Amino acid sequence: MLPAAIALPLLAGALLLAVGRHLPRLLADSAALLIAAAVAVLTGLVAIEATGGRLVTWAGTWRPVGIVLVADPLGAGLACLAALLTCCAMLYSRRYLEDAGTHFHVLMLLFLGGMTGFALTGDLFNMFVFFELMGAVAYALTGMRIEEPGSVQGAFNFAVINSLGAYLTLAGIALLYARTGELGMPQAGVALAGHRADATVVAAFVFVAAGLLVKAAVAPMHFWLADAHAVAPAPVCMLLSGVMVELGLYGVLRVYQVVFAGTIPQAVVTRAWVVLGLLTALVGSLMCAGQRHLKRLLAYSTIAHGGLFLAAAGLGAAGPIAGVALGVAGHAGAKGALFGVCGLLLDRHHSVDEGELHGRGGGWREPSCWLFLAAGLLLTGLPPFGPGLGKVVAEEGAWWLPAVSLLVSSITGGAVLRAGLRVFLGWGRRLPPPRPDQTYGGDESPETEEPLPRTPKSMLAALALLLAGSAAAGVTPRLAEWAGRGAAMFLDRGDYLRQALTGAAGHPPATVPEVGWTTSGVLLGLLATAGALAVAALQLRAGEAGVSEPGPLRRLHLGHIGDYVAWLFAGVATLAVLIGSSLI
Amino acid sequence: MSRRARQAVFGTGAAVLAVLFALAAAGLPPFGGDQHPYRDRAVAAALHQATANVVASLTFDLRGLDTLGEEMILLGSVVGAVALLRPRPDEKPHADDKTSRPQQDAVALISYVFLPLTLLLGFDLLVHGHLTPGGGFQGGVVLATGLHLLYLSGGYDALRRLRPLAWYEWVEGLTTAAFALAGTANLVNFLPHGRVQQLFSAGTVPILNILVGFAVGAGAVVLLAQFLTQAITLEGEG
Repeated sequence: MLPAAIALPLLAGALLLAVGRHLPRLLADSAALLIAAAVAVLTGLVAIEATGGRLVTWAGTWRPVGIVLVADPLGAGLACLAALLTCCAMLYSRRYLEDAGTHFHVLMLLFLGGMTGFALTGDLFNMFVFFELMGAVAYALTGMRIEEPGSVQGAFNFAVINSLGAYLTLAGIALLYARTGELGMPQAGVALAGHRADATVVAAFVFVAAGLLVKAAVAPMHFWLADAHAVAPAPVCMLLSGVMVELGLYGVLRVYQVVFAGTIPQAVVTRAWVVLGLLTALVGSLMCAGQRHLKRLLAYSTIAHGGLFLAAAGLGAAGPIAGVALGVAGHAGAKGALFGVCGLLLDRHHSVDEGELHGRGGGWREPSCWLFLAAGLLLTGLPPFGPGLGKVVAEEGAWWLPAVSLLVSSITGGAVLRAGLRVFLGWGRRLPPPRPDQTYGGDESPETEEPLPRTPKSMLAALALLLAGSAAAGVTPRLAEWAGRGAAMFLDRGDYLRQALTGAAGHPPATVPEVGWTTSGVLLGLLATAGALAVAALQLRAGEAGVSEPGPLRRLHLGHIGDYVAWLFAGVATLAVLIGSSLI
Repeated sequence: MSRRARQAVFGTGAAVLAVLFALAAAGLPPFGGDQHPYRDRAVAAALHQATANVVASLTFDLRGLDTLGEEMILLGSVVGAVALLRPRPDEKPHADDKTSRPQQDAVALISYVFLPLTLLLGFDLLVHGHLTPGGGFQGGVVLATGLHLLYLSGGYDALRRLRPLAWYEWVEGLTTAAFALAGTANLVNFLPHGRVQQLFSAGTVPILNILVGFAVGAGAVVLLAQFLTQAITLEGEG
C-alpha cells in the first residue's frame, strides 16, 4: 500500500503529461482532484492503521539491501494532510493559469508524490531524492506567473537557497555513508548507536539537517520563503506554507530520532532547536507585523509559526510533539484559506497591498471577508479550534513556551486581523503609498486568464473546506488521541528500529500523552485571541507607523541573493557550534 | 547589507563549516578498508539477480524507488521548464527568419556521418545497460545528442520537421508512466533472471533501463526545444 500511495500521483502526473493536450480542462481538473483524493484516503487509512503499529514495506521486497518505507501515524498523517491540501488547491485553481494548460496539474501531482514519498520513506538517500523532487517542482510552480518579472526573482531565490541546502544535505549523507556504510535510517542508527559522537558524526548531522532546515525556513535560512510566497500563485502558497515547510521540520526531527539519537544526546539538540526556533519565531513575528504586502505578511506568519513548532517539538517530549502535529494541521487549513482569499483579491483588484485595498474588499456582504477574518481568528488560537488546541497542548512542554506562544499568536494573528479589517471593512487610518524601500503588493497581474465576474463557487467551496478542516482539528477527540499516540510512537526509537529491521509487529506505546482542552488551555487560547485583537486595534490606530518593520531587520530582507547565501552559511555554522561545542 | 558585511558573515560561517568538514574528513575510515556492509550485501544481491552490471542492479532493482524519484525529478524539471518558457502573450515569431541559416559544409558532413553512429551508440547503451557500463540515463542523453546533430547539419528547420514535438511529449509521459506503474506494484523484479552476462538476463532491469532511456532522450529533446524556440523564433515586445 505504501509504494502505491507514492507512485499513484506520479503515475497520474506522467499520464496527464502524455494525454493532457487532448483533454478538456474540466476533465484534467477532475482527474487531478480525484487522484489527490484517492491518495488522501489511502494515506489516511494507513495513518489510522499505523496507530496500532507501524506499516513497513521494503521496496521491491529487498529486505536488508533495498529501501525501507515506514509509515507511522505522524508520517502518514502528514502525507494525508499534503493530499487533502492538494485537493483543496486543485478545487480552488479550476480557473487558474489557463495558458499553462495541464502542465500545472502535472506539476501539482508530482509535488504531491514527492511529499508523500518524503513523509513515508525510512531511507535517508531516498528521503533526499523526494526532497529534491519537492524542490524541483516547487521552483517551477513558484515561477508560474511568467508575465510578472518578480516571479522569476522569487523562484530564483527559492531555487538557489534550497539547492545550496540540498548540496549540504548530500554532503552530510556522504559523510554518514562513509562512516557507517549504510543509507537506510534504521541501519545507520543501529551502526551509530552507543558510539561517541565525534566530529564526523556531528558534521554528518549538521550537514544533513542544513537542507531540511532551509526547507523548514528556520532563521537565518528563512529568507527565500517570503520572496517565494510573494510571487507564487495562491494554490501553490497553500501547499508551500501549509505542508512543505512543516515537512522540513518533520524530516529533521525524524532523521535525528532514528539515525542520531543513539549518539548525540537529546539535551544537545534540544538546545539547538530551542535557540533556532525562538530566533525564527522572533524574526517571523516582527517582520509579519510590519508587512503591508498581504502575501508576505502571511509568509512571515508561517515563518513565526514554524519557529514555534521547532522550539516545541525540539524538546523531544511526546506532549509537545502531539500538540505540534495538531497545530500543523490547524495552521495548514487556516493559512491555506488566507492565501486563497489573497488570490481572490489579486484577481479582482490586481493588488495585494493593504494600503491600496483599504476598504475595497467588499464589506460584510462579501463571503471572502468572513473567510479571511475567521481564518485570522483561528490562527490566533481561538478555542476550541485546531490551531488553538495545537498551541495549548504544545505549550505544556516548558515553562517559557506559553509566553512565547502567546506573543507569536498575538502579533501574527493581530497583523492578519488588522489587514483583514482594513481591507474588507475599511477600518483604521489610511496608509500612504509605500516608500520606495518598502515591499509593495500593488500593480500585480491576476492569476486567472480573465477577471472573474463573480467568485466561482468552486473557489469558495475550497476555502470553506480548508477552514472547516482547520476548525475540526480542534474538536475531534479521535484526532487528538491519534496525535498523542503518533507522538509517543515517533519518539519510540527502539520500537521503530525493531519494526523496520525485523518486520516484527509493533508494540503500542507504553505511555500516551493526554491531548485535549483543559481549563487553563481555554484561558490561554482566549488570552491569545484577546491579545491579537488588541494588537490589531493598536496597529489600525497607528496607521503608517503600525506597518513598518524594524529598520535593521528590514535591511536584511531586501531580496539580495548574496545576503541570503551568506546567512545560510552563518545559520549552518551556528547549528554546528550549538551541537559541536559540547561534544567535540 | 554592504559588501563588507556580507563577506564577513559568509566568511565566518564558511570558516566554521570548513573546520568542521576537515575534522570530519580526518575522522573517516581510511581508504581500502574491508568494512563495507552495503557493498557486500549489494554485490551478492546483484549476482543473485544475474545482473552483470552491479550499478544497474542497484539503480533499477535494489534501489529502484530512488530511480523512480529521479525520473520524476527529470520529468518535473522538463515540465517546469516548458511551463516557465511558454510564450508570453506579447511574444511572437521573429519578423526576420533566423531559422534557416547557411551551413558550413564541413560541419554538415561530420554531422551527417555522426548522426546514425550516435543514435546507434545510444541504443547500444540502452540495450546493454544491465551488462556493461552505461544504461538508460546515459543512453537517453546520447540519443538526444544524436538527434540534435540535425540542427548542426540541416539547421533549425530540418530539426523542426523531423521532430514532431508532441510525439516526444507522449513518449516522455508514457515511458515515465510505465515506470511509475511498476512503482505502484512496488517495483518487484518478477521476470525470470536468466544467466548472468546474457542479453536476456536480470529480469526487469533491462526493461526499466530502456524505459528510462526513452524518457530521458525525449525529455532532453523537449527541454532543448523550449530553449531553441525562445532563442531563435520568438521576440518579445519589451
